[in-house]
Amino acid sequence: MPENTTPAIVAENLVKVYRGRGRKPGVRALDGLSFTVPEGRVFGLLGPNGAGKSTTTKILTTLSRPTSGTARVAGHDVAREADAVRAAIGYVSQGSSTDPILTALENLEIAGRMRGASPSDARARAKRLLDDFGLADAAARPVSTFSGGMRRRLDVAAALVHHPRVLFLDEPTTGLDPEARAAMWAEIRRLAAQDSLTVVLTTHYMEEADRLADELLIVNRGRAVVQGSPADLKAALHGDSVRVSLIEPDPAAVRAALARVGGLRDVVVEASGVDGVLAARTDDASAAVGAVIAALDAAGIRFGQVAASHPSLDDVYLHFVGHTFDPSTGSGTGGTGAGTGGTGSGTGGAPAATEGEAA
Amino acid sequence: MTTIAIPATAAGPARAGWFTQTGQVLRRWLIVTVRQVWGPVMSLVQPIIWILLFGQVFRSLGELPQFAPSAGSGTGGYIAYLVPGILMMTVLYSGAWAGTGYIDDINSGVMDQYLSSPIRRSAIITGQLTQQLIVNVVQSLVVLGIGWLGGARYPGGVGGLLVALGVATLLATIFCCASTAIALISRNQIALISLSQLIVLPATFLSTTMMPSALLPDWVAAVARWNPMTWAVELGRGGLSGEYPDAAWLQLAGLVALAALAFTWAVRSIRAYQRSI
Repeated sequence: MPENTTPAIVAENLVKVYRGRGRKPGVRALDGLSFTVPEGRVFGLLGPNGAGKSTTTKILTTLSRPTSGTARVAGHDVAREADAVRAAIGYVSQGSSTDPILTALENLEIAGRMRGASPSDARARAKRLLDDFGLADAAARPVSTFSGGMRRRLDVAAALVHHPRVLFLDEPTTGLDPEARAAMWAEIRRLAAQDSLTVVLTTHYMEEADRLADELLIVNRGRAVVQGSPADLKAALHGDSVRVSLIEPDPAAVRAALARVGGLRDVVVEASGVDGVLAARTDDASAAVGAVIAALDAAGIRFGQVAASHPSLDDVYLHFVGHTFDPSTGSGTGGTGAGTGGTGSGTGGAPAATEGEAA
Repeated sequence: MTTIAIPATAAGPARAGWFTQTGQVLRRWLIVTVRQVWGPVMSLVQPIIWILLFGQVFRSLGELPQFAPSAGSGTGGYIAYLVPGILMMTVLYSGAWAGTGYIDDINSGVMDQYLSSPIRRSAIITGQLTQQLIVNVVQSLVVLGIGWLGGARYPGGVGGLLVALGVATLLATIFCCASTAIALISRNQIALISLSQLIVLPATFLSTTMMPSALLPDWVAAVARWNPMTWAVELGRGGLSGEYPDAAWLQLAGLVALAALAFTWAVRSIRAYQRSI
């Protein structure tokens, strides 16, 4: 890996405010986000839905203009040198980038020609990419006949026709079945092996970020929470983590019961419907697990699985954001409105009691 | 496993020129047209029915002095008078759908792809417009053919036919661009189609599409005089019959100006769309 000469991306104090439309209130999607992406790495942007990941991606791909703040991508300013940025990036949005009626080959050829390749170069590049992405057999089929995983791979291929320096992947595995997700992960790792390419990966899957990202930025409510490699972030949390799944918990009672247990840090109790979770960190997991079980038993609190482990990214998220990460609602079971960009609209669905409300 | 990128020796491919970009957008939409040809075919059903129904039901109108050859219908009677009107109506009905492709692209994500690429916004608009105009010319030829089978004759000759097709293309440009702009602003298929239908019928009936000005109530005649649909129909009728209206040059200038305005509106709308993301 070459030593980082110029960063692939420098974002400074990005703010994006969406004006309300009709009765919809305005949203402050980004609230002073700053970060730097080193060149040639896989950079993960991790956060719940609505944290501002997609907005960040849209600004960095020149789709959207920041309300204030600046960003440079591949050395060019996204606002003043938009075309230079566009020439240097590939973008796989959450939607599709191909026409379903055209064949895979036609889509890639047209994408290459639009970017300035000669007819023969565009065709050769399209065929090469279809080979690389395991789509050669489907080259002559209309994209509408593709499975979700094939379409996603084709979207990535289409973003690579012009040899971009920075590739943006916005939630590349959302909606894919486990097999297709594993295939996509393999493709991303293959791309990551190239020193010349920086990959910016947006995800709300902890596991995906953990496995793929060399460097990770956790975002929440439009702000940067913490940045580092997954290993460093986990190592920074000393000791082990203890998790207990709770059944119909009364958070106040759980907290009271745990008050007598020594050696616990960062205690978080969350209830969501009939389920709950107790998470804490400790220097001595073997001692703490026994004490926690005894304390819960003594207080008559019902619980299920008890687990002690080395810190995971979930624990990193919990430590820095203050509530557990829930990819399904994407807003954290804390339900504090975190991750909704401050609108509170993204937290719909199951009612969630927050730690704050319970305390 | 091989790596994907050939190491970036050059600074990447040169940016494609405007004509190449437009050509590739056109290529995409022509492939779509050929694979979904039922769309343009279906929009021909309506004009065919009109020509056959109106041509039959209103045949006796052709006896009126207002439809005499001097009124611009040549010698073909009412059907010869009607065909240029139906020609322009087809343009309107077909053009109303022009914006739907953009809404599909916005919903699918293809538009985001365009807008994050170094592609000129005017190339996106022009490429798709060109496809629509090509489809429009083919539809116009079919309508003229049906009219001929129905008994209309075109004494204006080949030159006149070309004039009629050219005017239809101008009107199509106005309508397709307006539909595109409304699509990019509303981003809603139903709103787009409802609005188009709302405009098409009054635009048709408040013009000399069906009736010469002399047979229209005064207020309608006054409105019709300033209706671009009237300009297009009368110019087309002039081409087919060989007898152009007095205000032909003014009408043509009006249509050209409107086409330029509509095109500008469409390109601006794509930029406005981007600002709203």
